[in-house]
Amino acid sequence: MSSRVLVALRVDVSRERAFDVFVQDIGAWWRPNGLFRTAPDEPGTLSFDFSGATTLLVETSPDGERYQIGEVVDYRPPERLTFTWRQADFPEGLVTEVAVRFDAVAATTTRVSVEHRGFHAVPEDSAARHGFPDAALQMRLAEWWRTLLDNLADHTRPDPN
Amino acid sequence: MGKALDRTLAALADPHRRRVVELLGERPRPAGELARLVGLSPPAMSRHLRTLRACGLVSESHPEFDARVRIYELQPSPMRELKTWLERSERLWAAQLGAFKRFAEGGGKADR
Repeated sequence: MSSRVLVALRVDVSRERAFDVFVQDIGAWWRPNGLFRTAPDEPGTLSFDFSGATTLLVETSPDGERYQIGEVVDYRPPERLTFTWRQADFPEGLVTEVAVRFDAVAATTTRVSVEHRGFHAVPEDSAARHGFPDAALQMRLAEWWRTLLDNLADHTRPDPN
Repeated sequence: MGKALDRTLAALADPHRRRVVELLGERPRPAGELARLVGLSPPAMSRHLRTLRACGLVSESHPEFDARVRIYELQPSPMRELKTWLERSERLWAAQLGAFKRFAEGGGKADR
């Protein structure tokens, strides 16, 4: 078992167009879904908000409530987009990141891949609380956690509950 | 459910306890052996084992022939919570990327 999620597919549009649609039209193509709820309120409309010093990914509910899903940490059109991801129902200890890559396969074909990672990481504030002072150590912990999960997959038994 | 994951992460923040989890990942072991391998006194080890038991990462049993010996074993269920989140995330992105493809290839018209 891996501690990240990787989903990819080919889209028959240019890389520039794919990047543009992904960012500018997320409110139109993203399917609000009660099953995969990202905000605490009714499923709403997603958008990247470029108005502030940092670009945010927000969900606006039908009655206008704004929920911040994450913050853009790397914005390199048309090849890459990385943002933090914290959906409302995540447990306290879970801080994750989504990295989207746009690779040109042909002039009008783009491979779009989404890597959702960080499910193994201890968040910074929690790390400080529990005595993890520096980032290098955190990285090692992330590695350790991932290895452990991989190893455990072999001898996990069905849950009695 | 969230609290449980937080407790798991907190329990694993200690390097001695991480070592114990690694050692138990190989096979179940008695407390005395764990103390020796990690280089801790038996009382210090039993404090760490108590923390690991409290968050459900390890369980304790004793062999039938000797009730004084305690054997510790790794319990994978706290890991399973993490696995659930991974699976949910995978379904989410598979569905959303599919919607993205239909939208982008349809010339930017919402498919509703």
